[in-house]
Amino acid sequence: MSLVPQLLFTGFGIGAIYALVALGFVLLIRAASVVNFAQGEFSMLGAYAMVVLSGLLGVPYWVALPVAVLVMAGFGVLFAGATYWPLRHRGQLPVIISTIGASIFLANTVLALYGPSPEVLPGLFDTPGFEVGGVFMDSQYVAIMVTAAAMLLLQFLIFEKTLLGKKLQATSQDKEMASLLGIPVALMVLITFAYSAALGGLAGILVAPVLFVSVGMGTIISLKAFAANIIGGFGNIPGAILGGLALGIVETFGAAYVSVPYKDALAFGLLLLFLLIRPQGLFGEKIAEKA
Amino acid sequence: MSTTTMAAATGIPQARAWRGLPALAAAIVGVLALSTLVPEQGYTLNIFMQAATYSIAVAGLVVVLGYCGQISLAQAAFFGLGAYGVALGTVDFGLPFFVALLAGVVSATVFGVALGLASLRLGGHYLAMVTISFQQILTLVLTNWAGLTHGPDGVKNIARPSVPGLRLESGDHYLGLCLVTLMGITWYIWRLKTTRLGRAMQAVRDNEIAASTCGIDIFATKVLAFGISAVLGGLGGGLFAGAFAYISPDQFGFGESIVLLTMALLGGVQSPFGALLGTGLLVILPEWLRFLRQVYLAVYGAAVILIMVFLPDGLWGLTHRLRRPAPVAAGAVAPLPLLSQRGTETAEIAMAINGLAKHFGGLKALDGVDMAVRRGTVHALIGPNGSGKTTFINVVTGLYRPTAGRIAIAGQDVTGTAPHQRTRRGLARTFQNIRVFRGMTVLENVMVGAERPGNDIAEQPALVVERALAALDFVGLRGDAHRMVGTLSYGTQRYVEIARALAGSPQVLLLDEPAAGLNLSEKHELGLLLRRLKGHGLTILIVDHDMNLVEQVADHITVLNFGRRIADGGPRDVLSHPDVIAAYLGEPRQDAAA
Amino acid sequence: MPLLELGGLVARYGAAEVLKDLSLVVEEGEIVALLGSNGAGKSTTLRAISGLVPNVAGRLDFAGRSLIGMKPEAIVRLGVAHVPEGRRVFPGLTVRENILLGGSNRRGAGRRVLERETDEMLAFFPDLKRLEHALGWTLSGGQLQMVAVARGMMAKPRLLLLDEPSLGLAPLVVQQVFRIIAEIRQRGTTVLLVEQNAHMALSVADRGYVLETGSLLVSGKPAELWSNPDVRAAYLGGKTVAAAVG
Repeated sequence: MSLVPQLLFTGFGIGAIYALVALGFVLLIRAASVVNFAQGEFSMLGAYAMVVLSGLLGVPYWVALPVAVLVMAGFGVLFAGATYWPLRHRGQLPVIISTIGASIFLANTVLALYGPSPEVLPGLFDTPGFEVGGVFMDSQYVAIMVTAAAMLLLQFLIFEKTLLGKKLQATSQDKEMASLLGIPVALMVLITFAYSAALGGLAGILVAPVLFVSVGMGTIISLKAFAANIIGGFGNIPGAILGGLALGIVETFGAAYVSVPYKDALAFGLLLLFLLIRPQGLFGEKIAEKA
Repeated sequence: MSTTTMAAATGIPQARAWRGLPALAAAIVGVLALSTLVPEQGYTLNIFMQAATYSIAVAGLVVVLGYCGQISLAQAAFFGLGAYGVALGTVDFGLPFFVALLAGVVSATVFGVALGLASLRLGGHYLAMVTISFQQILTLVLTNWAGLTHGPDGVKNIARPSVPGLRLESGDHYLGLCLVTLMGITWYIWRLKTTRLGRAMQAVRDNEIAASTCGIDIFATKVLAFGISAVLGGLGGGLFAGAFAYISPDQFGFGESIVLLTMALLGGVQSPFGALLGTGLLVILPEWLRFLRQVYLAVYGAAVILIMVFLPDGLWGLTHRLRRPAPVAAGAVAPLPLLSQRGTETAEIAMAINGLAKHFGGLKALDGVDMAVRRGTVHALIGPNGSGKTTFINVVTGLYRPTAGRIAIAGQDVTGTAPHQRTRRGLARTFQNIRVFRGMTVLENVMVGAERPGNDIAEQPALVVERALAALDFVGLRGDAHRMVGTLSYGTQRYVEIARALAGSPQVLLLDEPAAGLNLSEKHELGLLLRRLKGHGLTILIVDHDMNLVEQVADHITVLNFGRRIADGGPRDVLSHPDVIAAYLGEPRQDAAA
Repeated sequence: MPLLELGGLVARYGAAEVLKDLSLVVEEGEIVALLGSNGAGKSTTLRAISGLVPNVAGRLDFAGRSLIGMKPEAIVRLGVAHVPEGRRVFPGLTVRENILLGGSNRRGAGRRVLERETDEMLAFFPDLKRLEHALGWTLSGGQLQMVAVARGMMAKPRLLLLDEPSLGLAPLVVQQVFRIIAEIRQRGTTVLLVEQNAHMALSVADRGYVLETGSLLVSGKPAELWSNPDVRAAYLGGKTVAAAVG
């Protein structure tokens, strides 16, 4: 088996997960100016929802999956109500701090309930995978990539082609003005939170068979989503995706050629490198402030 | 400590260097007396040790988060660097305690400054992300690099310092050392808020662009604030290692950073006394609430949200209501030295602009504009919307880099320099959409202006207060000096901005649409103010659409259209120029100023 | 029945009472100007009408229906469009998208209807037609004001609230904006206008109200207001204006 294409394949798979989480992260920045430090906890909770549904309650996998994603969408609404809504008029800093609090609260609540030992979730398919040209295509990674691509396409269509998407964008840019035009602002914000949490939850479920389900996965995934964003350009959708993929590849190669325990440090190194050399990221910020 | 509080309550940024020192001395005597009452070892001692060393680290968060508005989530990491400095220094390298402590503080500082340099050019959340990452990496390193750090087992048998005669090896004496250090730091942080540096930090927190046009180097200020917080983190950690004689990586994880953050937020992140209060409570409370041991971090997480929603200024913030409002600063002050010393109108050029161009892709927003602002005159820049006026201002003040051309202030080329460097050369400005420092009083806002680097009195705190009061006198706002600026009306905030600019004794004052949003009688008052300024010999460049105002004050008018200068000269000639009427006025001006 | 009727209206921001006991009426088809110094409560009046001030008491009736306690989204559905101070054009959306979203209040109108009406609106504002696909943040002040007015008109309002349409605009553009305001009324929309530029506002208005610290000082036809010496001295700018008008 040739190592480099194999690593590329794995890197793309992991990167697709980071891209999905980063996407949900960007949406909240754009829709509500919320830099959500609990984004990774959405993934962690999604995975645990799956553990409860299919493991504990014995719901068949293909039923449990959409239910878990819906549960996460509902959770996104709750999350918005607790961390964002009461602080929405007070600027960015209080909301950031409140999402940090939420992240700690969620991780440690799950820790108290489930303990520190990781849970195992099955993959989407029973077949382990297949081989193409010397590269072993793990079925879970294929599923991750296909889902990520489908979600991206869906999101592009919603945001750029539908009236709902335009209303979501208008809400993200000026809420008071949007309300003056008759756009139901609260609903738009809640939709964004629900979608962002569902996306995070889906990413968590997809990645669970690869990473194991543990309380700590949230923080790690959050960090990767931040890093993907900074690499791609803060608040930029294509940037987040590209950044996520780049991160996955760097990390996979780093683990293979450098060191396994420090593979997370590599992501951090890449992040610092971008901050120093190209702080606006690959794509920069879209809307420049007019002084 | 109560006298210290009283002094803070008057809220007047006094200049005396010894302010609060008597209270500090009393506090030191007090804590030393207290430390003798604490047993030499055991539970009570440990509680006090923990509270004292944590408080030092939390005081660091007051500086970086409370004063400067930047979120650091790695305070436990800096705490850990300090602790490992002392532990490894004394145990493995045989260094004396204080040398090891210094090494620990230095390593925390070096990492802090490096992270700050990497992330603080950008918004606050970048620092938050970078510090979380750093926190995770440090935990990885402490756990995995066993050759240096002893790995997950941690470091045992850390010695306390030995100083002849002080018996610091004994727990209660060592606690005395920690508490005295803490008192000193609390005093320093409390004082810092009313110093030039402290005001600069708060200005950066409240409005970065306005801060930079007051001559503050935003980036350096943020790095400095973060650096101070890293120093205090390292110092607290170093003392912590000596206090407990044993440390391990899990004491310095991300969770502990959150604990420190919660302490700061609960107590009140705007004041070092809040830090003391929050830390004290959260060190004692978990001991009382032992049944929460399993979920205490979850409780902290929930507490952070609840504090943000219901208690944004923390517990210490509640005491604000009890304090007496500050008296209006009375007494005579020297009049504002408004450049009258620089003579009346002369041919000397205060600001020269040659061939200035700014292209955005294919769009030529400015296309070879020349302008000479003569000293002691009021020069007006007018033109249709989209003619390039805003771009012109942004290029002149340094927010944009020009594509071509040169800008010189008082004969010195400033073309490639940053906004704060131009302010240092004497360029001051006001903003079309008002930018004041909302978390500060009117007087403090204007003091930031008076502290413009390059201003004659910027280094002399007593004179800064006086100059700021004089500037407020000039615009008629002396009586509002101690009000929070956000409580003033929009029009009045505009005058605060003007006073802030005047207090810096600028060479050139740039007014960006000062009449926007004012009604006719307010515009009339503004016109009178500008005439008074002109009478004092100040050089003013004004951009406005109000032709009554422009005619009332301008000696010279430049007109832009499509990025080019279409007219330049005296008001009468320019306003009757056919191109100006066609592009801008629409109809010839009646002689309104008559 | 007047189209809009305010009676004893009180509005508060926190502890501050910004409007106290304000009464005024706007009849269908009128242009009414609201004048007064800064902080007199002019913008707050418009914000109270369109539901942006949560703490409002008194009488606030539009077409016989009380607006008290209604959300902005619901009020604009009744036919009250508000073009706020500062234009507030969405910076990351194109001119066309901005105008299109102006129709968000009309639940019955589908995408196709809105697209067609956007084309009509662009035809009415020829300067905007060539900027159709430009993003909001790239526009100049005058262009932004046109987009904001066009977006307000997309709501097909019975009452259009305009807050400081001349703010920060060059004289030539101000004249253009006021020509458009007159034309909007010609097409049957009632206009309530807040302006610092009393000269321009009273040149198009049928009636004017002068506010002072949250309550009504005086009202009347433009000529009556100009001839009231107290009003002129205190609120319209005294001699400077007299000269400018003369």
